[in-house]
Amino acid sequence: MKDLYVPDIAVIDDIIEETGDVSTFTIRFKDEQLKEDFDYKPGQFVEVSIFGFGEIPISITSTPSRPGFLELNVKNVGLVSGALHKLFRGSEIGVRGPFGNGFPYEKAFGKNLLFVAGGIGLAPLRSLINYALDYRDRFAEFTILYGARTPSDLDFRRELDQWAKRRDVKLLVTVDRGDEHWEGNVGVVTTLFPEADMTSEKTIAFVCGPPIMIPFVIRDLLEIGFSDEAIISTLERHMKCGVGKCGHCCVGDKYMCQDGPVFSYKEMKEMSEEA
Amino acid sequence: MSGYGEELRIIKRKDLFTLMSRFLTDREVIAPIKGHGGEVIFYPIESIEDVAWDWTYVNTVLPPKRFFLPQTEELFYYKKSAQGMEITPTYDDRVRMIFGIRPCDVNALVFLDRFFGGGPIGRKTSDMEMKSFQDNYYAIRRANTFIIAFGCHQPGENCFCVCCDAGPFLKENFDLQLTQMGDDEYIVEVGSARGLKIVYGHEDLFRSATEAEEKELIRIMDEAILKFKDTRAYLSKAIQKITLDQVPDALWENLSIRCQDCGGCSYVCPTCCCYNVVDVPINENEGMRVRTWDSCAFAGFTKMAGGDNPRSEKKDRLKRRFFHKLSYHYIERNGRHGCVGCGRCITTCFANISMPAVVEKIRKGVTS
Repeated sequence: MKDLYVPDIAVIDDIIEETGDVSTFTIRFKDEQLKEDFDYKPGQFVEVSIFGFGEIPISITSTPSRPGFLELNVKNVGLVSGALHKLFRGSEIGVRGPFGNGFPYEKAFGKNLLFVAGGIGLAPLRSLINYALDYRDRFAEFTILYGARTPSDLDFRRELDQWAKRRDVKLLVTVDRGDEHWEGNVGVVTTLFPEADMTSEKTIAFVCGPPIMIPFVIRDLLEIGFSDEAIISTLERHMKCGVGKCGHCCVGDKYMCQDGPVFSYKEMKEMSEEA
Repeated sequence: MSGYGEELRIIKRKDLFTLMSRFLTDREVIAPIKGHGGEVIFYPIESIEDVAWDWTYVNTVLPPKRFFLPQTEELFYYKKSAQGMEITPTYDDRVRMIFGIRPCDVNALVFLDRFFGGGPIGRKTSDMEMKSFQDNYYAIRRANTFIIAFGCHQPGENCFCVCCDAGPFLKENFDLQLTQMGDDEYIVEVGSARGLKIVYGHEDLFRSATEAEEKELIRIMDEAILKFKDTRAYLSKAIQKITLDQVPDALWENLSIRCQDCGGCSYVCPTCCCYNVVDVPINENEGMRVRTWDSCAFAGFTKMAGGDNPRSEKKDRLKRRFFHKLSYHYIERNGRHGCVGCGRCITTCFANISMPAVVEKIRKGVTS
């Protein structure tokens, strides 16, 4: 029987530097069978091992509709992510998962999709965005609002350009502070709301970003008329095991690694510990 | 009488010595021994002389959980070879026997069995999925360890297992349960097929109990309960208030002034089992992944890589600990509340933030 804590080995196929401290790693499992069998849902995560440094939870940024490989979009912030950033193409890492509940995108079938992302919060949403683009006819209107601190902090720049070109996607981007070349919007992501001209009717909002951003986005969405159930977000906690045993990621009686990390705003409000 | 429906046996003290010596030849025997400071702890013994036979202890300073979930434990060994990274899980599958374990600690193991044995916790799952979330490291140790329990005819100073449905005697979940009768003999209950095998395999050491002796066991059990200082099930009110979030914040604030963040409560608690995971490299190419006990009392327990810490305040951490132990949400998930009344947190916490002390404050509605 496969052990809960023993990772599978994957090889880094490609590394794309997205910003000064964020890179996207394309990885493939060494085991051919696993490469085919590994299935996941947008919004799920894997535990990534850099042997000798440890293990961290990283959301899967690729979409299951494009199988064979996984993409991980990682910011260099700590011991393990720092070690990952020092690796090369061909380096081996450990992967366990997928873990977590993932985005309940079925709720949005036939409805409008609204994505609100801040900074590296685009990483988990990108999985769902590309999944929904691959099944575009299952959804109605498609709006992506993305904010980053500065133009050089914009994640997935090339992909943002591709999305911008699509006629069936409305993409608005903003930065907190512009630079000499920036001609786009300046301001936090909620300042895009009037221009996005969106409706709460038949719309599901998926929100992901830094802890400071989420309450403001939710407040404005509620003001527009979104119901608590129609706002879907993720909760971030320190995690170790990913399988509901180590106890680090609990919020009240919920284990973020198993019961979460995706919750509707309604579920967040009902939690027995302040989320 | 016996949990396994098997008739009671009697073993003489000197024959119990002999039985244990026989076990020592083919397995690790863990028993209460006297430490250098005179405190009694569970430890693997080399000879029966090591055992703290005088039974002046009721419970050990530390619970026996470290024999199932070691304080530091290797999960696997990794080594980079020409073929790439190779991982070897390191299971401890030694056959062991724990002798003299008390009912509260056995009930704590039953709690851990459910927690480590299955999952994903709190969700209805198929048996197959349950199995796929089994913690093998714990499960293998547990399956290979015989439980020779000692019923408690005399509670210790801080014991309150009667309030926690965890003692002073076991009804199930033991291989053998021994209860002292007089100075020289023990009444033996058989609780499992493994236990029965022991009794049959060493028939020369046991005799059947008489009807009078069966009655004597009932008398000892009934009398033991009366010896507890407080036998009221006083957790229920606290469970209710914690579940409904009716405990005033001021209580946690006031307790947090005294709490020293030492984590002692978690370390001595037989049901606390949160852990941290770290890599311990030997060199660039090989090393171990190791897990160590952790505590929700520690300030860094919830700290994230970016620096955010949702439970940075001590009062939130204290609230968390008691919520996890007593809220109905967790009772539903874990099958019981997280306290077995062993009383070790009373002995250990020098700020008196023990389970009974906090429960009493919650029950009475006081905040300091």
